Amino acid sequence: MNPLDVLYGAGGAWLAAAVTGLLAGSGRAGLRACCGWSALGGAAALAAGGWSLVYGNTRVVAPGGATIVGGPLQLQMTSLAGVFVAVLGIVAVAIALYVPRYHEPSRGTALYLAAYNLALLACLAVLAAGGMVTFLVAWETMSLACYLIILRHPRRDETARGAFWFLALSEIGFLLVVAAFVILSAKTHATELDVMAARSHLVPGGWRAAAYLLALGGFGFKAGLVPLHVWLPEAHPVAPADGSAFLSGVVVKLGTYGIALFAFRLVPAAGSWPGLVTMGAGAVSAAIGILYALRERDLKRFLAYSTIENTGIIVTAFGAAMVFRAYHLPALSAFLLIAGLYHVANHGCYKTLLFLEAGVVEHEAGTRDMDRLGGLVHRLPRSAVIAFVGTLGIAALPPLNGFVSEWLIFQGLFQGFRTGSHLTAILIVLAAATLGLTGGLAIYAFVRGFGIPYLGMPRTRQAAAAREGGQPVAGPALLAVACVALAVGAPVMLAALSRTARTITGTSLGPLLLPGKLTVLPAHANFSAFSPTYLTVFLVAACAVPALIYLAGRPRAASVSVPVWDGGMVSFRPRMQYSAMTFSAPTRVTFDALYRPSVSVRRASDDDPAGRSGPVHYEAQVTPVFERYLYRPVVRAVEWLADAIRPLQSGDVNLYLLYVFLVILLAYLLGAV
Amino acid sequence: MNPSPDETEAAASRLRETVAAQFGRSLHIRTLDTGSCAVCEQEIRLLTAPHYDLHRLGFFFTPAPRHADLLLVTGPMVRAFDVAARKTYEAMPGPKVVVATGACALGGVYPKDPFVHGDVGQVLPVDVWIPGCPPSPLALLHGLGVAVGRLAEKTPGLTFIADGGAA
Amino acid sequence: MPLWFARGLRRGVVTTRYPARPDESAALLPTPPAFRPDQLTREAADLMVAACPGPALSRRDDTLIFDVGACTACGRCAQVAPRVVSSSGEFELATTARSALIKKIPIRGGGR
Repeated sequence: MNPLDVLYGAGGAWLAAAVTGLLAGSGRAGLRACCGWSALGGAAALAAGGWSLVYGNTRVVAPGGATIVGGPLQLQMTSLAGVFVAVLGIVAVAIALYVPRYHEPSRGTALYLAAYNLALLACLAVLAAGGMVTFLVAWETMSLACYLIILRHPRRDETARGAFWFLALSEIGFLLVVAAFVILSAKTHATELDVMAARSHLVPGGWRAAAYLLALGGFGFKAGLVPLHVWLPEAHPVAPADGSAFLSGVVVKLGTYGIALFAFRLVPAAGSWPGLVTMGAGAVSAAIGILYALRERDLKRFLAYSTIENTGIIVTAFGAAMVFRAYHLPALSAFLLIAGLYHVANHGCYKTLLFLEAGVVEHEAGTRDMDRLGGLVHRLPRSAVIAFVGTLGIAALPPLNGFVSEWLIFQGLFQGFRTGSHLTAILIVLAAATLGLTGGLAIYAFVRGFGIPYLGMPRTRQAAAAREGGQPVAGPALLAVACVALAVGAPVMLAALSRTARTITGTSLGPLLLPGKLTVLPAHANFSAFSPTYLTVFLVAACAVPALIYLAGRPRAASVSVPVWDGGMVSFRPRMQYSAMTFSAPTRVTFDALYRPSVSVRRASDDDPAGRSGPVHYEAQVTPVFERYLYRPVVRAVEWLADAIRPLQSGDVNLYLLYVFLVILLAYLLGAV
Repeated sequence: MNPSPDETEAAASRLRETVAAQFGRSLHIRTLDTGSCAVCEQEIRLLTAPHYDLHRLGFFFTPAPRHADLLLVTGPMVRAFDVAARKTYEAMPGPKVVVATGACALGGVYPKDPFVHGDVGQVLPVDVWIPGCPPSPLALLHGLGVAVGRLAEKTPGLTFIADGGAA
Repeated sequence: MPLWFARGLRRGVVTTRYPARPDESAALLPTPPAFRPDQLTREAADLMVAACPGPALSRRDDTLIFDVGACTACGRCAQVAPRVVSSSGEFELATTARSALIKKIPIRGGGR
């Protein structure tokens, strides 16, 4: 019995869920049954993933000699995929709990649920793929299923656009990934991933570099590395909340899994430059991601950019692990790999939670626009508390899980000087500094992301009308509990990941990571130390002890309750509060070279010959730098090329006969030679 | 111009007991302009200048009523400012002291009319009155000292009768 | 920078020691008037009441009622009745009772 057997159960459950959803999803009972199967599959996947962290890699299995698209179906459960499978599992359970209260049963929902569970199955197949063909087929199935997920409401204008961006970039990424795999397969004469990994030394240096870069680009499209991220802010807002949660929580992670797969198993590089490139791409991606997040009013676009930021952090960790391995520092390399995987688990939990809560907000308050929200903490208290836990996690504030994984990543990066190379050390320091900037901006962004919609007073009547009750709570609550568990249970998680790292890199960290039960060391005895348990206890005490002292010793005289100080205004209107854009205005000013904001102000008095005052129209826009300067020229070039080639297809039969004749002539000549 | 009830001794001792014990050597002052000509404000601002240096006495200015112990009011209490003045006073946590300063605030410049209350005592419970137009920074320092019970007030004992007359 | 510092040291401390010690600039302050009751007649009192731009001065029978709180130290009462009025030199006028600022000056001047 091994984790792969459990995965069969998960896959079977998800297949059952897809079928149930398709056939019975238009009725309430069918919807619940589908979600039940989905949750069962999720639980199985979570168990399998967790188990495989400590179990190690299973053998490659070709179940029943089945073939898929002409190639063998090969499955294998690896330690590296363990974290990703566990995240897939818990996200699936949370969404399964969420869907019955969020979606109305209908024909559209039935198709949606079928596509969603198919996507779950495809993701599982990607992670459990033991061979190249299985991987690629599963990957493409996952992309197509996600396309259908995004297209839940196809009649809306933005939906088509968002889904199109997703599909287009997915396909480009897929082509790059196929190219990378083909190179490796051709050079190692194998299609099983294990065999390719074992024979990776047969691949000559130039081809190794090409394969890795193709993989970085191809998986980078899916993961959301800047400038390949453009689909994320377009697709997330138009997909339903649980669809966005699934995209950000799982699908984007699969991109990072692909990068880790190539970096640590298939083409481990001898030189340091692939690692440095990866690390640099990750750091830049993180900074740009959070900077764009700060200029978003739409709650889901904001969260989408935050996903880009977190992908950047994960990829930076992986890149630095590659660099340390190239400099023969296996302990640090394993440590950063662990840190990156930990961040994958954390982000899977809190980002999914935040997207689900964004869905709740959109449903109850009627809008995703932060500037139309406010005061939801009074109207949706349970959802607000859960969203707050997620916000604390993603802002990386102690004692929650985000802090643990970011501490690990920073401690790893700070030891860059151990490489001995000045240039490398400087580059690692720059990456650490960029991540530091990102961390600070993330706190800023999430104070805004939680404070503007939930705190203060409602800015519109819609927001004021939100009412508690009827919104899904169980799913997000489960993820909140998971966030806390990942923080409090950090030593357990790190012990498991340490075994994973040993399977992948062959290095055992042991006492360099966990000298005792409660303290964590950054792969080195005298560098620094951190105890998540003590930190949690201390923080709880630091809050509880003064509170108890106050409660015990407070003055007996009655206290007076007075209104909030509002500057003494006669009538304080909710629209006088901070808006989302004004709160982040300092970043617009500081980083205007990146944003290139364009502001247009039109006053009614400008048009009136008598100069009478009237409405003022103010519009501020961030220039879509990547779309305008990268994608549009490429699209235009492709269109130009297509136009240039069109004369070949003139429709003239005589010309086509000439083509046939030329090709036969060419074949004859080549055959003669 | 309505004088408050004559309770010089009672008022002074009440002030000394409550305030001196609490504020002693550290006091946060919040200024409130209820419609003055801003010359009183200039004199108040001079208190932080090196010559007078309020901070050496442990007094500080704060813009937030929540952090303030003493409300320093100038201006004749324009009626439009009623709500803001009451809100500022209520936003201050007790114990608190209200000091009215300047001839306007004492009711000596504007009579009561539809736009102006005339003196600050109509709206806020004033503890200490500092005359002057404007009161010099020295007068303000003396007034603040009286407000915290560090200095004794001299006015009850003054007669404004020059030598050469009966005392 | 050193020049500025040296100049400052030579100048000494400019902060006043008030209220621990008296401040010499106090002598320059405009202060409310003090009155000589022996020189004060009803006519002089009425002149002063008319000249006062605010409600600081008023007369009731043989008493000049002087509201110190309303006084702006403008000096007009001194202009119209120079023999009666002199500068009091008092600037430490803060009080806890508004009524303590209302002073009564007896009118004792001979009927002139």
